[in-house]
Amino acid sequence: MKIAVQGSYPKIPSGAGASVRTQIQRFDRGVGSPKDLDQTYREATRRMLNLADEVGLDLTTDGQIRWNDLFDPIVRDVDNVYSEGLLRLFDNNFYYRHPVIRGRLAFQGGTLRYWSEQSVAMSKVPLKVALPGPFTFMGLSEDQSYHQSDRLLQDLLAVLKLERESLAGIGVAEVQWDEPSLSRDRALDKGYVKEVLATLTAEASLPQSVALFWGQGAHAWLEALADLPLRTVYLDAVADPAVIPALAETEWPFAVGVGAIDARNVRLESPSDLARQLEPIIRRQGNDRVILHPTSGLELLPPDRAEAKVRRLAEVRAAVLGTTKS
Amino acid sequence: MSQILKTTSVGSFPKPAQLVEARIRFRKGEISRAQLAEAERNATKAVIQLQEDLGIDILVHGEMERGDMVAYFAETWQGFEESLPVRSYGNRYYRKPIVVGTVGAKRGLTVDSWRQAQALTKKPVKGMLTGPYTICDWSFNAFYPDRRSLILDLAAIVHEEALALQEAGAHYIQIDEPAISTRPEELDLAIEAMAVVTDGLTAHTISHICYGDFETIYPRLLDLPVDQLDLEAANQGFQLLDLIQAYQWPKQKELALGVVDVHSHSLESVAAVKQGIYKALETVPADRLYIDPDCGLKTRTWEESEGKLRLMMEAVNEVRQELGSS
Repeated sequence: MKIAVQGSYPKIPSGAGASVRTQIQRFDRGVGSPKDLDQTYREATRRMLNLADEVGLDLTTDGQIRWNDLFDPIVRDVDNVYSEGLLRLFDNNFYYRHPVIRGRLAFQGGTLRYWSEQSVAMSKVPLKVALPGPFTFMGLSEDQSYHQSDRLLQDLLAVLKLERESLAGIGVAEVQWDEPSLSRDRALDKGYVKEVLATLTAEASLPQSVALFWGQGAHAWLEALADLPLRTVYLDAVADPAVIPALAETEWPFAVGVGAIDARNVRLESPSDLARQLEPIIRRQGNDRVILHPTSGLELLPPDRAEAKVRRLAEVRAAVLGTTKS
Repeated sequence: MSQILKTTSVGSFPKPAQLVEARIRFRKGEISRAQLAEAERNATKAVIQLQEDLGIDILVHGEMERGDMVAYFAETWQGFEESLPVRSYGNRYYRKPIVVGTVGAKRGLTVDSWRQAQALTKKPVKGMLTGPYTICDWSFNAFYPDRRSLILDLAAIVHEEALALQEAGAHYIQIDEPAISTRPEELDLAIEAMAVVTDGLTAHTISHICYGDFETIYPRLLDLPVDQLDLEAANQGFQLLDLIQAYQWPKQKELALGVVDVHSHSLESVAAVKQGIYKALETVPADRLYIDPDCGLKTRTWEESEGKLRLMMEAVNEVRQELGSS
């Protein structure tokens, strides 16, 4: 069984070390320089990537240390998208600046590629980049320009594909489309979702995955995703416990991510309990096609607890090895 | 006091530099609690003075003794543990409390700060509490078997605190529930908890709600058992008023309308604020319409806060004049 993390990671240390928070405060007060701030971003990213290596993750993100929220790189890389008022991100006490579309979307690119190049160079663990999927972007943004969702969606898919392709050739191992909106909305027409994601994932130079989290409907999309060119589908098994039987009972054509480590609660999972839950999934899908991961990015936890959750991934893997050997 | 369009603030004010410094030194053990309290009293005087100077009708004490609206209570109440900081947006962090045991509290935590502020002015000062639903939602629950049992235990504590404020002489008691729209399926539980909090209170009760996905909880939100709903509106260009206008505003309810965005450095125009007020007046009579900022001002600088409040008063005074009620 493999282990991985999903998206964001705390930007501050649990003890001594580079703190993005402190450095931004210094920068805002005019004490720290742009170079100091850039250096701090690099050090905080390196800290996260070193932890991934130390724990033995099979796949990691860079913790999105430079990102303000999940839309940040899109706002920076796509013309006519602006960060506006703060809104609550689903049912989290975390707030994102909602993207407002004020003109036709045009891809400029550069920022995410630059950030990712730096991270790839620092990481000993294969690095994936998580991006907002089209349903989540459409659901959480505000259209002040198109007034026709079909036309907006068409252009959005085009710029998201360009963003993905901008990451080709720099060593990124996977592009993960984050779709919390889909997990929370089972009512959407499955044929339509399949068609949109088929367009998004076509003609890709990089392996792709979809992550469904924070909703009770994650398992309901498995079938619709089955024909798509996806390497992995990551599912939040805490918000949607039906994920566990869905993965234990049916063999899927992609690798399955089991989000059984709760990224929104400090309570640490029991390795032996999780090993027992995972055992039938591993038996059904095969040992190398199951990835244990936190339900979502770990930035919603304090840094010490986030680190403990990453370490717990390895502890669960050890427990699984014990279970599957016996 | 003006007869119509009474003005107020939501709660927090930015902490002056001397108080920020005092809080840091107190955490390091360099100054005593009494010295910190003195710095808080001085800052409170400045907050009261500013509101008096601007002609605001119902004052707040500015929450100079509080770091965060949930952590402040959790730091003192039983059953909570403090965490390392967690990011809520941008570069803002809070220490998200961890519930590790049965919650309980000694009555009257907020009374002294209210008394001190009220002694500085003849105008009414609001007693400020955080609601049980929000305290639960913005804490990690590592103890209670479910959210309901935690929320109802917290409601009983907040009720006692409200009674203590009322007995001390507070005529306005505000119970903030910014998290109330987080899970629409739990709105009935939040209403039930608020009924526990406000049971038997004769003081004027207010609940402030922001970052709301109001569409999902309206018009049921009108059943929240408080005299006044205080809602943010400027953050999204007064779109909330379209929703409010779709329903009859209840005769027994007051609306406090947020007219300036507290998460933006830029200053709104008087014309835009007046437009929002006039739009609200189409649904809510002027004697039941209160005007305030979208939320607490603590994330703004002192100058920005003063600027936004001054602009708010200018707009209100113009509207009052135009309505023949200055």
